[in-house]
Amino acid sequence: MQGFDITNPPFDRLSYQESAELRAGLDIGYYAPEEVIIPQGSPSDWLHVVIKGSVEVRDRSTVTTVLGPKDSFDSRALVHGAAGEDFVAAEETLCYLVPRRNVLALIHRNAAFAAFFYADVSRKLDAFAQQRKAEGMDSVLRARVGDVRYRAAVFVEGGISIEQTGHCMRDHDINALFVRDRQRVGVVTGMNLSKAVVLRRLPIETPVREVCHFDVISVDVEDFVFEGLLLMTKHNKRRLAITSNDQYMGFLEDIDILGLFAGNSQLIPGRIDRARSIDDLAAAARDIEAQVERLHRQGVKIDVIAEMTSDLNRRLLARVFEMTAPPTIQEAGCLLLMGSEGRGEQTVRTDQDNALLLDKDVPALDLIRFRDGFSEALAGLGFPPCPGNIMVRNPVWSQSLDSFIRQLKSWVLRGDAEAMMNIAIFLDAVAVTNPIDILIRAKRAMFELMWGEAALLARFASLIDTFATPNLGVLGTIMASVGAGPDEIDLKRAGTFPIVHGVRTLAIDKAILETSTASRIEALVKAGALEPSFGRELIGALHVFMEFRLRSQLYALHKGELESEALLRLDGISTVERDILRDALRVVRQFRDLIRSRYNPGGF
Amino acid sequence: MRRQLRNLFYRATLGDHAYRFLFEPGPMDEVVVLDCETTGLNPRIDEVIAVAAVMIRSSRIMTSEAYTAIIKPDRVLTPTSIKVHRLRARDVAEGRPMHEVLPELLRFIGGRPIVGYYVDFDVRMLDRYVLRYIEAKLPNRRIEVSEIYYALKYGGAPPGTVLDLRFQSILADLGIPNFGQHDAFNDALMTAMMYVQLRDMRQRGVRIGRERAVQQEAPIGA
Repeated sequence: MQGFDITNPPFDRLSYQESAELRAGLDIGYYAPEEVIIPQGSPSDWLHVVIKGSVEVRDRSTVTTVLGPKDSFDSRALVHGAAGEDFVAAEETLCYLVPRRNVLALIHRNAAFAAFFYADVSRKLDAFAQQRKAEGMDSVLRARVGDVRYRAAVFVEGGISIEQTGHCMRDHDINALFVRDRQRVGVVTGMNLSKAVVLRRLPIETPVREVCHFDVISVDVEDFVFEGLLLMTKHNKRRLAITSNDQYMGFLEDIDILGLFAGNSQLIPGRIDRARSIDDLAAAARDIEAQVERLHRQGVKIDVIAEMTSDLNRRLLARVFEMTAPPTIQEAGCLLLMGSEGRGEQTVRTDQDNALLLDKDVPALDLIRFRDGFSEALAGLGFPPCPGNIMVRNPVWSQSLDSFIRQLKSWVLRGDAEAMMNIAIFLDAVAVTNPIDILIRAKRAMFELMWGEAALLARFASLIDTFATPNLGVLGTIMASVGAGPDEIDLKRAGTFPIVHGVRTLAIDKAILETSTASRIEALVKAGALEPSFGRELIGALHVFMEFRLRSQLYALHKGELESEALLRLDGISTVERDILRDALRVVRQFRDLIRSRYNPGGF
Repeated sequence: MRRQLRNLFYRATLGDHAYRFLFEPGPMDEVVVLDCETTGLNPRIDEVIAVAAVMIRSSRIMTSEAYTAIIKPDRVLTPTSIKVHRLRARDVAEGRPMHEVLPELLRFIGGRPIVGYYVDFDVRMLDRYVLRYIEAKLPNRRIEVSEIYYALKYGGAPPGTVLDLRFQSILADLGIPNFGQHDAFNDALMTAMMYVQLRDMRQRGVRIGRERAVQQEAPIGA
């Protein structure tokens, strides 16, 4: 069957031989409109791949997705024995039928192909992120040794003592030296010195030529990094000498190669610490931003990117605070990052949510100067201002602990959507400067205010339906299937927000102090408020949305259309990715149901 | 009526009784889609050089069990025919003689109805060989897809309506992707797809709109 497209994922993972077998086993099925192809809960003897027409995925009476040409269904029915939803032909539809036993045989033989059939959303996503990771690795290993940021060579004479050598290492802040001894050149490392003194008990006056080694393994500055890596493996060394025209230039260390791969993120904190001005910090801020894209291109997992980025951003903001806050505020104030920054889930900067809590009164003039100075400095670093004005510039978000607790109380009493949203944002706060304990005091006060207030919790939970559109993207899908317009999904509204806010609701209920959604989920599982398996699915789904969001953010950045940063065009992603997205949306639906049944927010 | 009489005659005078199965009705819900590639359009002088038959079992097209064969012709291929089906002398040289292929093909078809696009032409082409080897004509019922299409689209149309029964137009009208025409298997496959959809539409009493835009090709990779 030549018509079957084997470049369409996941079939692109098959070898030539395997795809030939697959094609040979294909039949074609025809389905009339409204014909149920796979009923919910039933197994299926075939994997269906749509040739033409469209198939509605229905959960009870809701249409959750519409599948079109090249989409396949349903891996759950095929491998796990029960379809999660009804699959119904929406028009005259033709599908390839891949027999179950053929799919199972391929799953056993081909791990990359098998990944498509994982039950677990996050595992599936990982498996498909792996491919990009390989590309990233590739480009790194094809770099030249000269591209690595290596340290310049430092030479000492073979006659100097171990003690002098040690001082020399410290002075140059380097851990390996070249040792000139008549015609020979050797290498000595800090470890050589320690072993000589500690294990062999040599006196520290011993000449260094006695403890260095002369069988230097070297790599040319023009060589590929992978050649260096091979030499390291072959000789079991973590360090190679770099030569150029037979001159020693420096050392290539395994950590340098790692740095090339991970984008030298370990250097950014140093740059932040050494910064003397806001301009210096602006350079570091740009580095952080550039790193997000590089890590993403290299296939680093989204949770790792988010963690690294928020760690660096917190350092950055702490430094801005040090530079702009008058001494009185530095002493009494605790800078808070809230919202997605507080949860450590922001990658591309979309806004700033920050606040200041003071544990004693400060001169009014200092506070006014700080409010403006800090916000201005952040704007200078490229942080867009918060559209909801949730920034230290706003007096509501920069006040003393006591008055802030009174503020919380008034929000609780008001109980309207805006007040609830403020509470939600505050719940995500992390302290980036001392004294941290005032934040914990404020949060405990808030938990007490909310404790046992079922009606209040229900109102809080009801925000989950702020963007509730039960048939997400379906209208669009139908429009697209008749060619009426591109199909888009708002990742924030359809995915991230319901998960984040639902988890936040549970966290406030159980007085959980963690701020990141993933660690809140773990804490909720530990507290018995969530099933462990569902907790894993929820984290997986969150990462799916974060991953796709980052992708569309980077795309929007390149196109200069930031307003569309949360929109994902469904025609721009592969069928496997659409399938993963579909799984993630199913998890969100389940979670909304759980929150609704637990807090009954519909009553308001 | 005429065909029934004719079939009775052939059945009685059948040269080779091993082929009696052609006259037995096939399984109720099965039909066979047939397509031949030929050296030209004249059944009297042109020859069959490739044949494909695909079975349809209820609403499943059994492509995994399709029958295909390339046939070595008795005469040299003309350049005009090569342009149509892209089978060169070298390709058909690897083919097998018709007297080997035909029994296999007939066994595959059995007594099932034969579905095709201008099916009469394909059957007439085969009949030449069938007559030569077993002294009968194919008795199978024939189903013409363009006829079903005509009925659903142009049945009761006002006089003067321009008819378009081209293979391409039917494909496009039904939204079936073009897998590449003039390959016996692909042609049989696309005809099978047309047939299952047209048969279902006829059963449900759905008509094909005459104003319906024809450019509705579904995307499909080659």
